[in-house]
Amino acid sequence: MMSAQEIPPDWEPKILAFLCNWCSYAGADLAGTSRIQYPPNVRIIRVPCSGRVNPIFIVEALRQGADGVLVSGCHPGDCHYLAGNYYARRRFALLQRYLEYLGIEPGRVQFSWVSASEGGRFAEVVTKVTEDVRKLGPLRRLNIKAASLTQEGEAG
Amino acid sequence: MSTLEQGIQKQIADWLRSGEIELFIGYEAGTVPLQATPAFIRRPEDVGRLIWDATCENNLAVFLPRYKGKKVGIMVKGCDARAVVGLIQERQAVREDLRIVGVSCPGVVDPKKVAERLGVAVEDIEEAKVEGSQVLVDGQSLPLEEVIYDLCQACDRHNPIIFDVHLGEEIPEDPERDPFAHVREIEALSPEERWERFRQEVERCNLCYACRNACPLCYCNICFVDRTMPRWVYQTTRPEDVQFFQIMRTFHLAGRCVGCGACTRACPQGVNLRLFLDKLRKDTLELFGYDAGVDPEAKPPLTTYREDDYNDFIMG
Repeated sequence: MMSAQEIPPDWEPKILAFLCNWCSYAGADLAGTSRIQYPPNVRIIRVPCSGRVNPIFIVEALRQGADGVLVSGCHPGDCHYLAGNYYARRRFALLQRYLEYLGIEPGRVQFSWVSASEGGRFAEVVTKVTEDVRKLGPLRRLNIKAASLTQEGEAG
Repeated sequence: MSTLEQGIQKQIADWLRSGEIELFIGYEAGTVPLQATPAFIRRPEDVGRLIWDATCENNLAVFLPRYKGKKVGIMVKGCDARAVVGLIQERQAVREDLRIVGVSCPGVVDPKKVAERLGVAVEDIEEAKVEGSQVLVDGQSLPLEEVIYDLCQACDRHNPIIFDVHLGEEIPEDPERDPFAHVREIEALSPEERWERFRQEVERCNLCYACRNACPLCYCNICFVDRTMPRWVYQTTRPEDVQFFQIMRTFHLAGRCVGCGACTRACPQGVNLRLFLDKLRKDTLELFGYDAGVDPEAKPPLTTYREDDYNDFIMG
């Protein structure tokens, strides 16, 4: 974690969220129609299923400058395609541990299950991820745009 | 010629003559000392070229996918045998079509270590050979166990687990050995130290893709690094792009890497890829109780699931 003074004053975390069409995206929609507030830091990409999320999407998101990534799908047993989230769970369990092993801070890449009826929970999840990443500061590792974060005059 | 080599040559000549196989993939003396080269033997009269000693470092299983559908014989060490199992599991090789000669391997010579011991460059070693447990080079005799690859010194799979014929003596394994000691060391570090370890290790990578080419399980027809739509990997010297490549290639072997070390031996820059791949092997074992390259009938862990799989990492 970087110290507070290294975090640029006007910095806001950029979170990329992959949401499954059938549950979590609908959950986000419900949060919206219910007028539940959640941080605007999240950028949502709708995918057919959490099982559609290739680990390369997550690592590429970090490389391209996302400070954190959230993947959210249907609760186990509720997958529209019956088992997509089960396959996803195995992949992401390995991926999350692997990225942490390589030195990407815990909290940068998170996973959740949010159903279509859980608008409030979606807001909670996004708030949690945003706050976790805010504490960690901008992503300096693996991020091709990290150099632009260093102040002028410093070697970048 | 050793009696083991004689035995191999006779077996292969028999198989080729009887039509049991049409091709045998083994080793022959290479053009540089201390590095044997793969040999592709199609005629019984050519079996005299075949050798077996501690210079036979290549994992020949890497050639199997391209001969799928043909009757092929192959020579495997303990580590290579696991890769053959992996290929059978993934339908890249058919067990019935294979004739496997298994040999127990005490470890293969790292020419860089030999050169270091002599205080010369690898290219300057002109003549060297392995005799028993000694490497004879430039009038000196070095104990083999001191100049084998690091990963061979840490080996826990000297004996092949799949073969039709096993030639030579078995080598006893040490049941006390912790195959993941080097992974545990890194796990104990802070995120900053772990990143520094990873960054410094892959800093030497110059995207030559030797690791990919040497890996028996890297058989994708179009590798993600070669794709242009979308383009994932940028062939630049930017550290982030190199890190990205290394993360994604290694992760593509999650649950599949058999830990043969072919990538690590092939790397001309000496990147210790095993440090990262073994983390994936360790987690696969811990989370899914799965050890790759052991059971040809088992389903690879990422192609299946259990309803009660590990769920603790999901936000509560």
